Amino acid sequence: MADETQLNDVATYAAAVRAQLSDLPPGQADVLLEDLEDHLAEVAAESGAPLAARLGSPAAYAAELRAAYGLAQEGGRRWRFARLARLGRWIAGFESYRAVRGYLPELRPAWWVLRAYLLVLALAVLLRGGRAIHPVPNPLSSLGLLEIVAMGVAVVVSVRIGRWSRRGDRGGPWPIAVGNVVVAFAGLVALGGMSTPDWNYGSPVSEPCCVRSDVYAANRPLTNIYPYTADGKPLDGVLLYAQYGQPLMVGGKGSGVTTQYPMGADGLPITNEYPQRQTRLDGSVVPRPRVALPVVAASPTPSPTPTP
Amino acid sequence: MQQRADSSQLLKGVLDLAVLAVLADHDSYGYDVLRRLRESGLNEVGDASVYGTLRRLYQAGALTTYVVPSDEGPHRKYYGLNDRGRKALSESTQTWTALTAALSQLLNGRSSKNGG
Repeated sequence: MADETQLNDVATYAAAVRAQLSDLPPGQADVLLEDLEDHLAEVAAESGAPLAARLGSPAAYAAELRAAYGLAQEGGRRWRFARLARLGRWIAGFESYRAVRGYLPELRPAWWVLRAYLLVLALAVLLRGGRAIHPVPNPLSSLGLLEIVAMGVAVVVSVRIGRWSRRGDRGGPWPIAVGNVVVAFAGLVALGGMSTPDWNYGSPVSEPCCVRSDVYAANRPLTNIYPYTADGKPLDGVLLYAQYGQPLMVGGKGSGVTTQYPMGADGLPITNEYPQRQTRLDGSVVPRPRVALPVVAASPTPSPTPTP
Repeated sequence: MQQRADSSQLLKGVLDLAVLAVLADHDSYGYDVLRRLRESGLNEVGDASVYGTLRRLYQAGALTTYVVPSDEGPHRKYYGLNDRGRKALSESTQTWTALTAALSQLLNGRSSKNGG
């Protein structure tokens, strides 16, 4: 019954059908086409006519198989994927691409470190509470130190995750892939919103943050505040706050005068400490102005050496 | 040609039921299922549709399968219903019966209205 010609016909026809379904995932194709040859041989054994004459073209047969098996027709989404795949193959044809592709896996540990850095940076920006975050944390400030420690921990964890997820087959679990994308995006956004670090701590800070007061004194913008005690002693290092607790900063700028803010332990300028130290362009310090103190009734002033 | 296409569209929806019904009678292999469907009057059914349907029902866990060696040709893969297949058949039969009853009523009502 099954002579040589028929067997050849079956093999050719089955191969053509398989070729039409080559876009199926391997597992699905295996299940669908498992005993295609046996089945076709059965059909062929029925009569001497060639399979194509009885069953139609292999392409039509494949399309019918697809429909009966509940698969989407080739085309539409599949067609677009096929185009993408072709584009991918075209790019893969370049020598330079293959070279980059070759050493890309070696850069994986670098990415593990980078993503840890970006994650901590993004978290620092989220939690900064109004303070400026710099791309390079300042180890002299408590927040910066915390950032550095957190980065160290994050790098260790990130490398562990990286090594763990690369153990088996290629491509880690999808939550890690999603996490990578989120961290990269958030990290870049955080970096993009940053100013460069101000390492020169003694230098004048022209535009620090904080609440400015638009107070005028004698029709001129307020440029400094000189506190005194009630009995006329000049005070230094007085911190002033507005009614909601915001640091109070004088809004006016004296012409040709720069202000030097003292630095806090966290590396940030203290902008509400008065009187502010101000210098003129020639480097001379702006002197304390003469003030007319009110005349107050003589009251017992606290004396450092109380007399018994 | 148009009529043929329409009938094959209709058939597609009920091919599962037809294949399950054929196998409920007795176990069978792919080409035999096709032959029995055609003997029942379903001439439009295509070989690839039957083969694809058998593979899908098997994949869905509705069929059991075993290979029987054959003297005269290739060995044959027989398919039979398992519990899930029998359940699917009885459910589909109920649905089909209800559907055809409703449709018959609809079509009969139309024809009697036209007639009278």
